[in-house]
Amino acid sequence: MCGILAVFGCVDNSQAKRSRIIELSRRLRHRGPDWSGLHCYQDCYLAHQRLAIVDPASGDQPLYNENKTVVVTVNGEIYNHKDLRQKLTSHEFRTGSDCEVIAHLYEDYGEEFVDMLDGMFSFVLLDTRDKSFIAARDAIGITPLYMGWGLDGSVWFASEMKALSDDCERFMSFPPGHIYSSKQGGLRRWYNPPWFSEHIPSTPYDPLVVREAFEKAVVKRLMTDVPFGVLLSGGLDSSLVAAVASRHLAESEAACQWGSQLHTFCIGLKGSPDLKAAREVADYLGTRHHEFYFTVQEGIDALEEVIYHIETYDVTTIRASTPMFLMSRKIKSLGVKMVISGEGSDEIFGGYLYFHKAPNKEEFHEETCRKIKALHLYDCLRANKSTSAWGVEARVPFLDKGFINIAMSIDPEWKMIRRDIGRIEKWVLRNAFDDDQNPYLPKHILYRQKEQFSDGVGYSWIDGLKDHANLHVTDAMLSHAGFIYPENTPTTKEAYYYRTIFEKFFPKNSARSTVPGGPSVACSTAKAVEWDAAWSKNLDPSGRAALGVHASAYEEAAEANNASVINGPPQKQRGGVVEKTATVA
Amino acid sequence: MCGILAVLGCSDDSQAKRVRVLELSRRLKHRGPDWSGLYHHGDFYLAHQRLAIVDPASGDQPLFNEDRKIVVTVNGEIYNHEQLRRHLPNHKFRTGTNCEVIAHLYEEYGEEFVDMLDGMFSFVLLDTRNNHFIASRDAVGITSLYIGWGLDGSVWISSELKGLNDDCEHFETFPPGHLYSSKEGALRRWYNPTWFSEAIPSTPYDPLVLRRAFENSVIKRLMTDVPFGVLLSGGLDSSLVASITARHLAGTKAAKLWGTQLHSFCVGLKGSPDLKAAKEVADYLGTVHHEFYFTVQDGIDAIEDVIYHIETYDVTTIRASTPMFLMSRKIKSLGVKMVMSGEGSDEVFGGYLYFHKAPNKEEFHRETCRKIKALHQYDCLRANKATSAWGLEARVPFLDKEFINVAMSIDPEWKLIKPEEGRIEKWVLRKAFDDEENPYLPKHILYRQKEQFSDGVGYSWIDGLKAHAEQHVTDKMMLNATHIYPHNTPTTKEAYYYRMIFERFFPQNPARMTVPGGPSVACSTAKAIEWDASWSNNLDPSGRAALGVHLSAYDQKLPSAGNLGPNIIDVVPRIVSVPGVAIRS
Repeated sequence: MCGILAVFGCVDNSQAKRSRIIELSRRLRHRGPDWSGLHCYQDCYLAHQRLAIVDPASGDQPLYNENKTVVVTVNGEIYNHKDLRQKLTSHEFRTGSDCEVIAHLYEDYGEEFVDMLDGMFSFVLLDTRDKSFIAARDAIGITPLYMGWGLDGSVWFASEMKALSDDCERFMSFPPGHIYSSKQGGLRRWYNPPWFSEHIPSTPYDPLVVREAFEKAVVKRLMTDVPFGVLLSGGLDSSLVAAVASRHLAESEAACQWGSQLHTFCIGLKGSPDLKAAREVADYLGTRHHEFYFTVQEGIDALEEVIYHIETYDVTTIRASTPMFLMSRKIKSLGVKMVISGEGSDEIFGGYLYFHKAPNKEEFHEETCRKIKALHLYDCLRANKSTSAWGVEARVPFLDKGFINIAMSIDPEWKMIRRDIGRIEKWVLRNAFDDDQNPYLPKHILYRQKEQFSDGVGYSWIDGLKDHANLHVTDAMLSHAGFIYPENTPTTKEAYYYRTIFEKFFPKNSARSTVPGGPSVACSTAKAVEWDAAWSKNLDPSGRAALGVHASAYEEAAEANNASVINGPPQKQRGGVVEKTATVA
Repeated sequence: MCGILAVLGCSDDSQAKRVRVLELSRRLKHRGPDWSGLYHHGDFYLAHQRLAIVDPASGDQPLFNEDRKIVVTVNGEIYNHEQLRRHLPNHKFRTGTNCEVIAHLYEEYGEEFVDMLDGMFSFVLLDTRNNHFIASRDAVGITSLYIGWGLDGSVWISSELKGLNDDCEHFETFPPGHLYSSKEGALRRWYNPTWFSEAIPSTPYDPLVLRRAFENSVIKRLMTDVPFGVLLSGGLDSSLVASITARHLAGTKAAKLWGTQLHSFCVGLKGSPDLKAAKEVADYLGTVHHEFYFTVQDGIDAIEDVIYHIETYDVTTIRASTPMFLMSRKIKSLGVKMVMSGEGSDEVFGGYLYFHKAPNKEEFHRETCRKIKALHQYDCLRANKATSAWGLEARVPFLDKEFINVAMSIDPEWKLIKPEEGRIEKWVLRKAFDDEENPYLPKHILYRQKEQFSDGVGYSWIDGLKAHAEQHVTDKMMLNATHIYPHNTPTTKEAYYYRMIFERFFPQNPARMTVPGGPSVACSTAKAIEWDASWSNNLDPSGRAALGVHLSAYDQKLPSAGNLGPNIIDVVPRIVSVPGVAIRS
């Protein structure tokens, strides 16, 4: 990843302003530790902090067209840049960077080229010929982007909120799949796939089509000039990514430089379920596996830093980001700059446990659409910012545009969870990689039931967080929460604790509005809470919270009152979860 | 390098204090990006940010003795740790890190072990049995360290000023070669070499003894488990370091892991003298040579960041730190974590041009002693902090304890510059490596005359800095300089410009006291200005300033006393002088 910051029309083009922009751009340096650049044209500034993944030697940014009249600062990877270059035969390229195509595409196609890009990106482009500019963000919002407005009439764009929150009167998340054009003076959506309307698709499920689409998505993400690896939690999604990546690594360019053995990484409290599951998959695939351990204390000590980097007060996101944040530091210290990760699968295939209760295929499908549209506020934000905090880039093949189109055109009847015919969550994905002749994964892993990420790192992680918050947030504090935080009022001590940290770093109204809120049960949208009348009384963000769908939850139904939900199930039951999970498969 | 921070006896063991210590420790994260640790015992806090060079897998800090009663947080490298371990046969070591010996040595020898350590280090050790603590810094101050006192009775120790300046009532540079013991509540010097008294030594010069001492000192610094390289400016000192490293690399553990070909690095404005000279040496030695270019604008844009990191307003240090700072970022982005560098040779051998005017061997020798004692405020500070800003470690073989002993025991008659006998600056060092059969360097490089670092990166660098300062500091501002900055009043616009930036980051009075001042000509101490009556009228910090000893200076009359610094610089013709020859003629 890289970090971008752009300011247009700020009236002031003094040295003091230049220094200020440099200072603000430095707040994004963790995203791009390798080099920085600043292009200043009259009252327009384009700043860049670079993480060099493709063409480390010459790809420093900002990038230009041939006569330097078009300037662009980009955070991202354009996987089809070679194909696009071939379409631009009359253009001369200065660097080997995959992002340079953007300047040239703009010359040929004007503002209408964004959908031609296959990849993840946020960019700002300045056309100095008429001083117009555009900014755009990838389809799903894999890369973060914020937009703001200054009192002096300036427009700001930044990869992270921290670079513009102090200097803008108002700011917001830049909506994914959108483009802002100074000529047209507004935002418009460039991403218009068929699934976006939430109509119910009817294409019958073809396992081989799904498999091929996903393999392609992984293979195109092997484009790199630096060492890389796979985040492997041992769950279905990351295991599939690792299996496909290790299968295709040998034929990739990266293998010629860095060897054909795949590196995999896993983090957990000592003895955690993820560590065990990942080790098993790594052994099966023969990867060079790295295990990292953290203690609850280390996680708690990192919370402030995590919230500063992730820029949210969403409880599940913070819980899950912390181990990922710690792991990214370790990964980076090994010299690895890029990792492939499994985010997005649960949204596309309805992998969360609450999908068990989807009343019908229509509701099921609409919920997956809503989940994908919200990804940029949750898992995309987590995956991008917790890795970028240490200059590691995360690539997410499940969020490939082509793959999403295929997966979201399947008749949702196939995605429905039906125990009666042996279909657990994400069955369409599991079945697509169920190859008896040349197995991607052993059957028991392929059909293993979901362990939510924050649980998988070790059950005492979330309990430790709650205990810590209980120690430092008093009942009196929580009882005033509605007055102190009228918007998205924290309802638990843990949420209150995170919120106070967030407000310390980002005290403005605009900042708290960038974070989603509303009722949710185990990662559901507010809409899906309606699926079960009992849920609205038991709102808890944890995946472990009883939904009445996990084997263990059925047994403990009687205890499902607020207190036990917050404190988590008793120790004995936790062992049960693991065992029972296995029997489900 | 790593970053250490210790807060000792602060009468506060709350969560808020812990969070504050974590926050302050994060200000040192650039020094140790790989991992962090915090040890907390009552109201004692020992924090660590780690750069993993030796034993990346298990050496996370703080470190402990066997029963975890003794805790130590260390920034540094102990080159003789394997020998020391052998002295401690009844101790059990937990990690492979070289710093763990410190805890065990303390157990065995109490406070008297510091002189047994061969290396560069700053550490804080806490004995939890009696809450007694010690802090110490290496002989010459290669690693940075500060000490401070809080109003609550606490003692603070930090690798950089920024770790403690906001929380201490008073703080100062921790003197090199000293030990602070809480038992005595005072500092005492543990480093007592013969040269320290400044008595004139009489050992006759033996080139082979000097050669062997330096080779040893380079070889012991090849201890590393990560990729490394050499900073090569093409001058005598860095060329010798590169030559010896290249010669001995094959036999080391590092070579087995990272290959036997040495990487060398050079930075400069395009077409600069250093780039040319370094390329020549690299070609001769057959290193994998990396050239980095920067523009004057890149440098100016980095100045604030440089001053924040280097923590000084000393003009020559800032000029020389900036290219080194930019280069370090590029080096780090290649995955290199450690570099060898040539600092210290000019001090040990009297390599600065003003040494030409030393009236006699006694004055010459005493000036070298003064220069070595001040190194921690100048070149050590620069080399350590400019690299550490990007998580890169600099090792300086010329400042090896043993080597200094050998070099400083030579009768200074041999070091005197005698153009009539063909002895240019640092002749004893050059001669020591003048090997006809197996040459370390080609003769013309071995006997090349010094190019000051800031000049070598390109003459327009310093001119560019001055022009920039000229633009942003008005004459009116200069008029009030003595009132605004009564201590170490800036006398040039360039100095004023740096000072403003420094004061913004470090506004406390003790902060400005950590930076040395006083009259100087071309890096001389105040004392040496007495060597030439005309100097006191021409105080300019640049090495290029005419001292009447460089070829170009002989050609051109020194300007009259009324002229200020910048003019002196401007009249010197921009040529790379042919060393030695000129002085002989």
